Amino acid sequence: MTGALARTVESISGALRAVFAAEQVAAEDGFLQGRDPRVTLLSLGGFALAVMLARTPAVSLGLGVVTVALALLSSVPLRELLARSAVVPAAAAVVVLPQAVLLPGDALASVLGVAVTDAGVAYVVRFTLRVWVGVALLSLLTVTTPFSALVAAMRELRVPVALVWVLAVTYRYLFLFFDELQRLVLARDSRTTDSAGARSEWRDAKRLAGTFLLRTLDRGERVGRGMRARGGARPPSPYGRPRAVDGYDYALSACAVAAVVGAGVVRWLP
Amino acid sequence: MAPVIEARGLTHEYPDGTTAIRDVDLTVDRGERVAVVGANGSGKSTLQLALGGLVEPTAGAVTYFGETSDAEAVRDRLGVLLQDPDDYLFNTTVREDIEYGPAQLGQPRETARRRVDALAAELGLEDLLDRPPFRLSGGEKQRAAVASVLAFDPEVLLLDEPFGAVDARYRERIRESVTDRDGTLLWFTPSLDAVPEVAERVVLVSRNGSIAADGPVREILTDRTLLRDHGLRPPATVRLFEGLVEREKLPLTVEAARRYLRRDE
Ligand SMILES: Nc1ncnc2c1ncn2[C@@H]1O[C@H](COP(=O)(O)OP(=O)(O)OP(=O)(O)O)[C@@H](O)[C@H]1O
Ligand SMILES: [Mg+2]
Repeated sequence: MTGALARTVESISGALRAVFAAEQVAAEDGFLQGRDPRVTLLSLGGFALAVMLARTPAVSLGLGVVTVALALLSSVPLRELLARSAVVPAAAAVVVLPQAVLLPGDALASVLGVAVTDAGVAYVVRFTLRVWVGVALLSLLTVTTPFSALVAAMRELRVPVALVWVLAVTYRYLFLFFDELQRLVLARDSRTTDSAGARSEWRDAKRLAGTFLLRTLDRGERVGRGMRARGGARPPSPYGRPRAVDGYDYALSACAVAAVVGAGVVRWLP
Repeated sequence: MAPVIEARGLTHEYPDGTTAIRDVDLTVDRGERVAVVGANGSGKSTLQLALGGLVEPTAGAVTYFGETSDAEAVRDRLGVLLQDPDDYLFNTTVREDIEYGPAQLGQPRETARRRVDALAAELGLEDLLDRPPFRLSGGEKQRAAVASVLAFDPEVLLLDEPFGAVDARYRERIRESVTDRDGTLLWFTPSLDAVPEVAERVVLVSRNGSIAADGPVREILTDRTLLRDHGLRPPATVRLFEGLVEREKLPLTVEAARRYLRRDE
């Protein structure tokens, strides 16, 4: 049973990396890869904002279609993008699921004597859809644009240094965190036999949790030193990847502006 | 000229009470190549961090270039390479990692680009530049880390065991890259075989974290008793020729041993 714990950790860290790390995709030629990083950042940010504003499923779906189209144009494998960015909305859906019975409305069905309402179901679907599209957009941004280029773009766009700093450090420590967990579980698995029961698995998991915290703090400190040794104490200032802003850049920006305005209009106009 | 690094009474105690280095006095002059050797756990890495201004000394201080005790003020002149490459490489691709130092330290983009390409060729990283560092093999990671520290061309290099997992060909390349520069070198290692090829001076750290000996390579590497007392042993060629040749003539490297045998024929 040693597998269960290891598999969980593996799949979480694997999914995180796939969602947030530019492996090969960013290097490939595609629509988003060819944009100026500032334009990609602002436009995808605009679409994400529109998703947040949207309260009508049709608008969320429309933005979902935009996301899919951008992924296709940028040769990002669609199925992987959607499957991997599904992890977060799946968790979100579980959290809001009780709303399906809590919101008043016409009963659709009865589960264990509790009425599931149409308004409730609609809410859960809407919410999950929005989170999903939002995460897919974020994922699209990070797999098509190298992280250092995004940081450089933020600096060029005069995003406050403190905010850029926090984002850069969070991004790095996120990986570190799962990397450390994976190592720890690997180390344990390499010394545990398969015959250990579920009970010992649980006991080990509890002990690992304690060690994990200490190890992550320690590793964080050491990586912090590694950064400092190379000037990491100064504000993040990677080299940008400037490109000539062309017609496509303007078109993409215009679409993003239209999406934000459109989503706002649909939401607030009577 | 003022020494590049001057440590006085340097002591570091970890929060758990372990005193890793004790009252270290060390002066390194410009252009010197120094090997800092010692057994596992003797405190080499801690000394490296303290000299590089990456841990606060509990007592004592380091003066850099006779100018300042603030390491951050001279960060672009100090190349501190940590022992574990996983602590050093944290960017999304190898190229970003190698560029990180030059970019943070404000070096021009073009210079950095040229240096990255040259280093990649030298250390065989050309095909790895777009890969994420965490996907590399152990030796590849170490080569990428060495490239990352050389990228901003610091005046002083403090390298902690830079080729533990590196194969013979790239050991040679790394050795050449770090010794062919004009700068100052501090090389921290528990294994003595490569020391004569990189350094001219050896600083021996004792098990309790103080400095046990400091002198020319030959003097220290041929002193079997001293080395044994500190958990080390002389390089293979010294052990081979010991007792057969007088101490001043003991060959320190395989090359020297070959030359010696040829001459003897
Ligand atoms: N973070 C830490 N907290 C507490 N003690 C530590 C810490 N890091 C190292 N030590 C202890 O400090 C001493 C010196 O460690 P250090 O890593 O400097 O040794 P080293 O000479 O580099 O060894 P090695 O050859 O194995 O790399 C050791 O006794 C070690 O156990
Ligand atoms: Mg060490």
